[in-house]
Amino acid sequence: MKNTLKVERAINNFTQEELAKRIGVSRQTINSIETNRYVPSTLLALKLSKLFNKPVNDFFSLEEGE
Amino acid sequence: MNLKSVSECEDRRIQKIINYKLPNHYKKIGWIGFTLSFVILISAKFFDDDFSILIETIKRLLLVFLLIVVMSKEKVEDEMIKSIRSQAFSFAFIGAVAYTLLQPLVNLIVASIVKPEKAIFEDLGDFQVLWFMMIVYLVVFMKLKKRA
Repeated sequence: MKNTLKVERAINNFTQEELAKRIGVSRQTINSIETNRYVPSTLLALKLSKLFNKPVNDFFSLEEGE
Repeated sequence: MNLKSVSECEDRRIQKIINYKLPNHYKKIGWIGFTLSFVILISAKFFDDDFSILIETIKRLLLVFLLIVVMSKEKVEDEMIKSIRSQAFSFAFIGAVAYTLLQPLVNLIVASIVKPEKAIFEDLGDFQVLWFMMIVYLVVFMKLKKRA
């Protein structure tokens, strides 16, 4: 699964630390999601969707073959 | 209270027990206690006196302090940490089972080569297995956390 979390974060002018605080995770978790090392749960994806005011599909998408 | 709500209540209670973790500051207490116990255990080896009761007590204490470290929360206990924790637990569990089954055989083979007259099959003690399991858990957990 790929994502454009870094882009969304830049659009909303959040640092990794700010975004992490807003959704109740560590900065390390945000970094791992951005670098595709960790796939977040539905709950976390929905929290991000609510924060960015966009559907989850706008910043998370399946890669070819998934 | 109907049967469904009794079952939900029971589920919640089980989840609460399974997910129970000590507060983060216990980690420091655990590491300090572990270090002290370890130093005492090593120092006792340098004395000729019979410290067997003391050594056995310290060994148990060492395991308790390690368990406190294992059971303590991280500063931010989020879903990624929970996922890393469960990976480390399963690795440590499988590792401990393999170690318990294979190590006595390895010991026997080595002993039969080095000292064939003293080669006997001996099971590992509880301390060795528990110590191995918790150390493997902590090493894997820290490695996965650092890599994340």
